[in-house]
Amino acid sequence: MRFKRPKTEGNVLICALCTIMVISIIGANVLQNCTTRFNVSSSQVRSWKESLFAAEAGGDIAYAEIRKTMLDPTHAFTGWDNSGGKHVSLVTTFGANDLTTSTVVDSFYTDSGGNPWYRARTRGTAPVMGLARTGVDDRMGAGTRGDSLLRKIDFRTDHFIASYGPNGDGVGKATVAVAKPQITRRIEQISAPITPFEAAIKAAGTFYGLGSAAYIDSYRSSVGPYDPNVKNNPSDSRYLDARSGTVEINTATATIQGNIYGNLYTNGGAVVKKSSSVSGVIDNNVPFSLNDLEMPSTATWNYVASPTTVNPNTVINPPTVNGLPRAGTASSPNYYLITNFVSNGSLTVNPAIINGSPQDTYVTVSVTGDIGNSTSSQPSVTVPAYVHLKVYFTGNFQTKAENIINTSGYAGNLQFYAISPTDPSVQQTIDLNSGGGSNSGFSAVFYAPSANFTINGAPDITGAIVCKNFYANGNVHWHYDRRLDTEGTAVDYRIVSYVEDIR
Amino acid sequence: MKLNITRNNLGFSLTEIMVTLAMSGVALGAILTSSISLQKSFNAIDTYFGTHMQQIRIVDYLSRDVKRGLIVTTSADLQTVTVTVPNYIIQKGDPEAVANPDLLNTPRNPTVAYTASGPQVNYGAANSTVVYSINGQSILRTEDGNVTTIASSTDQLVPKTTDVELANTECAKTTITFQPIFTSGGSVAAQSGTTIYSTAYLRNKRRG
Repeated sequence: MRFKRPKTEGNVLICALCTIMVISIIGANVLQNCTTRFNVSSSQVRSWKESLFAAEAGGDIAYAEIRKTMLDPTHAFTGWDNSGGKHVSLVTTFGANDLTTSTVVDSFYTDSGGNPWYRARTRGTAPVMGLARTGVDDRMGAGTRGDSLLRKIDFRTDHFIASYGPNGDGVGKATVAVAKPQITRRIEQISAPITPFEAAIKAAGTFYGLGSAAYIDSYRSSVGPYDPNVKNNPSDSRYLDARSGTVEINTATATIQGNIYGNLYTNGGAVVKKSSSVSGVIDNNVPFSLNDLEMPSTATWNYVASPTTVNPNTVINPPTVNGLPRAGTASSPNYYLITNFVSNGSLTVNPAIINGSPQDTYVTVSVTGDIGNSTSSQPSVTVPAYVHLKVYFTGNFQTKAENIINTSGYAGNLQFYAISPTDPSVQQTIDLNSGGGSNSGFSAVFYAPSANFTINGAPDITGAIVCKNFYANGNVHWHYDRRLDTEGTAVDYRIVSYVEDIR
Repeated sequence: MKLNITRNNLGFSLTEIMVTLAMSGVALGAILTSSISLQKSFNAIDTYFGTHMQQIRIVDYLSRDVKRGLIVTTSADLQTVTVTVPNYIIQKGDPEAVANPDLLNTPRNPTVAYTASGPQVNYGAANSTVVYSINGQSILRTEDGNVTTIASSTDQLVPKTTDVELANTECAKTTITFQPIFTSGGSVAAQSGTTIYSTAYLRNKRRG
């Protein structure tokens, strides 16, 4: 018996193969499209964002080191390569995806107060998952490019070094292979010094004041003398300068009275703007911190042995060097160490006179203990024109407002610094009393981050105060001099500029 | 002699052929219809995803420029955004490049100026201006007159940016929608379902 074999099985095989081929082509097409989209959405976009995170993390590391130059100079830029006027960090690797970052910091500018401004150039790199042959998604339209213009991925070589050099300045261009696909982004941040007197009143603790008829306004003495009418005259070119009497409070406890011609910042307060009370903005979410104040280094100062006590009529004249009075400089003032400022002591500091002309004279006095220790105390400090006096004291300060005499009228010429107590249970105080009136005021600045500051009466004040808790109950007329915002040794740094190198 | 004629009865009858052709036609029609639908669906999804990626690209472009921006303004219809950014890189024709061609394509050194509102960091005498705008089905980015098409889709991409000035800071809030081509009737829900949101703060306008 013979079986006849069917003659159609070859056709079935061909049909099956064709079907599989068609389905495979369709599947491959779908897979190719999906893979491209997946690479963009899951890998390239993520890496592009992560590289910025890495760069900004490196910027934060650099910023922390820059702050140390002020707060902890001994340990600033420790472990960095500090040569050639630059600080170069090691490469830091972090995160689950092995992000890397490195920074170069240099000082590009020194302000009139001698404070350096720092530039931090940081690069952050994130690996891109996938193979080096994976392309970017440029399917957008004829003659246009999509992602490749934005997300510059180094698949095989570092495009930045090849085109612009490792530092972006065109020097050292080279083709440098990368171990695996990566994205690098570069940012530049500028850290500017925070000067101590950039606001009229800065209180780290609570704030109460001023009187109901008091006001805080401002002017800029380098432009012209104080004019009470400018703050109400928008057409005056000094109008902005007249409305910069800013008050900053680092707690929610802010009892605001009187008028503030400037901004008001609190940390969690509930201050509501009244049309007549605050001319600027109220922002109740501006925290800040004040560090304890320590006695600065006296290494470059010119120590003068006498006097050591301030009695009722103590006068300091400049020491004589080579037959001429030494006027000193801002970085090398004549330095006096006072161990006893009697309760009714009177200190007058005279300028150096050369050929009959007074010279700008820089003097620093360090007082161990109190300057005035009771309500009956009436110590006084007098600085004639041309004298730039800084007074450091470790105890309390108590006197009448009119006993602070600054002939020049520029508050920056008479600066008081309250050294923070080493015993945290000790509360430092500064009490100024006044009967009011224009003759009862003073021109000076106080930097006392650990002291409670109290003003009774209604003095006219030109200057700025930084303190812990602030209390004033009189109708004080307070004029902040905007020239002060560049005065004094920096107390911290803030980032004031951010640029990304998008090449 | 009788011829032994073997009848070949393996063929189909007319009825069988008619039925087979009818069934094949139905099957082929179904396959064709399914294939076309599948292809349309794939194209629609691919376009949808591609447009979504362009949404992300627009947001990333905007965020990058807003972060480094000094000033952001938006038009009344919220569809044109103007960002003033530092002129960080020395470009062709800039005074520095004219004076010293070696400085072309290098970063500028920052300078500090004291203004009525306080110290200010500058890169060069003038800033750059970046404008985001819509032109037909394309989203354009124009930096100092140089136009780049950053997105282009038949899905009608619509970015809208609102400049939000808070008490002492500023941000740009952007929403981007598109109209998926595979939806019928262009319903509002189909468009609003594609919305992505982005908020970018100006790093150069800080508190305190």
